[in-house]
Amino acid sequence: MKVSVVSRSGREVVKGGIELKDSAKVADLQEAIHAKTKKYYPARQRLTLPAQPGKSGKPVVLSQKASLSEYCEKGSGSLTVVFKDLGPQVYYSTLFFWEYVGPLIIYPIFYYLPVYKYFGYEGERVIHPVQTYAMYYFCFHYFKRIMETFFVHRFSHATSPVSNVFRNCAYYWTFGAYIAYYCNHPLYTPVSDLQMKIGFGIGVVCQIANFYCHILLRNLRSPTGSGGYQIPRGFLFNIVTCANYTTEIYQWLGFNIATQTVAGYVFLAVAAAIMTNWALGKHSRLRKLFDGKDGQPKYPRRWVILPPFL
Amino acid sequence: MAGVGSAVRRLYLSVYNWVVFVGWAQVLYYAVTALLDGGHEGVYAAVERPLQLAQTAAVMEILHGLVGLVRSPVTATLPQIGSRLFLTWGILWSFPETQSHILVTSLVISWSITEIIRYSFFGLKETLGFAPSWLLWLRLVLFLLQAGHHLIKFRGNLLPFQKLDLKSELHSFVVALLICRYSTFMILYPTGILSEVGLIYIALPYIKVSEKYFVKMPNKWNFSFDYFYTCAIAIGVYVPGGPHMFTYMLAQRKKALSKAKTA
Repeated sequence: MKVSVVSRSGREVVKGGIELKDSAKVADLQEAIHAKTKKYYPARQRLTLPAQPGKSGKPVVLSQKASLSEYCEKGSGSLTVVFKDLGPQVYYSTLFFWEYVGPLIIYPIFYYLPVYKYFGYEGERVIHPVQTYAMYYFCFHYFKRIMETFFVHRFSHATSPVSNVFRNCAYYWTFGAYIAYYCNHPLYTPVSDLQMKIGFGIGVVCQIANFYCHILLRNLRSPTGSGGYQIPRGFLFNIVTCANYTTEIYQWLGFNIATQTVAGYVFLAVAAAIMTNWALGKHSRLRKLFDGKDGQPKYPRRWVILPPFL
Repeated sequence: MAGVGSAVRRLYLSVYNWVVFVGWAQVLYYAVTALLDGGHEGVYAAVERPLQLAQTAAVMEILHGLVGLVRSPVTATLPQIGSRLFLTWGILWSFPETQSHILVTSLVISWSITEIIRYSFFGLKETLGFAPSWLLWLRLVLFLLQAGHHLIKFRGNLLPFQKLDLKSELHSFVVALLICRYSTFMILYPTGILSEVGLIYIALPYIKVSEKYFVKMPNKWNFSFDYFYTCAIAIGVYVPGGPHMFTYMLAQRKKALSKAKTA
């Protein structure tokens, strides 16, 4: 079949179009486009069907594993696809690694090295036990995240735009330094022993719960990485759609109860807001997909992210 | 029902925009008169109250965006209003030593001209979108203005009035204002931004010495706030922030002028 590839402004991206076997898949089309255009590797391509005049709504994105013939107009042997360049891409695992390695290195710098000298605090620093535990806790958290990135998570999209590396690293690294500065400060005031134990206790329990949530989510997807959505089940997912975010938020709450810094609580608020945003999107996507029609199960009534609020 | 709601919205926004417009017109007037009377040192004292009122009133615009009364994204208005309030209250009002600097004059003039154009543009946009009865009111006003103009010009020789082609008159007036709004920023943004950065820089030694707005450690919440470093970082933010706002306005200009051409 003949596939013509046009940009959103109508210009032909591949002159003369591409000839493919009738049985070809979308992935074959992507390879062919890459061969013809050199710089647009498949991860950078976003292929959609042309918008129907009069019909509004999101354009149909071509799924990589699908057959091209599924998208052809009935009967015709040709297809027009609209091409969008997503820009240079990096693997999600690369993105996550660089985001998380920052705090992992930055926090110990504030703990071990005489950084506060440069902020005008001369002399010996007294280190309280809670500050040591906080350092281990914080670093373990980000170490765990890196391990999960490489060994646990199964990503639906393999890549993310390069610009996200700068944006996300700025977020994690800046907050990491902000929290580390106050937690390791020479004039740090620790909370009571009991409060520290409660805080870290909550944190550890929630980190374990969070890890288990990640394992459950991993098992929803097959190793071939076909992505797609399933109804999450088991453990906390039976009551909350995004139990992984819930446990993550409570884990940071535990850290903050133990360390009591405004910086930590600000980070908690911002992180919770971001995750809530994601959770709302995921929850509504799942509800739309699992609407109880056409043989799809109906998505059960669940909290979105933070019972009893949302 | 929807018609009434939309009319109330338009009335409110018209009143809001015109009131703030008058505020900024005052600021410009007092600034120029003070400048001509006594030189740049006296400008701040002359404009302080209307400046603070007009600038602080702009906080309403964030509310308007959040509630959905206007279409501007909060992400665009927030940094603009944030920097204005920072300068107005956090630098000029808080540190009187900066008030006699010549940059205050360039700041106030850049801001007031920009805002006069902006608020009259929005005021007109909201007012013109009105129900016909208001448009007739405007027609009457324009008619009277033209009549006055003719009377003065021809001093008794009352030539027959030219037929008022209201639509095209208003249209060319709005287009002129549009071009004004989307062109003057090319000078006023750089002068405004440079004045802002300059004034923050001038204030730095006074901030450090006065230790105003400082929270020191140790305290129960392990929190500290150093206004000096915050201001220094603010200057740093202007480095990417300024060009970003400028290119945003350039894009807005392109959009608006191409729309005006096809209209």
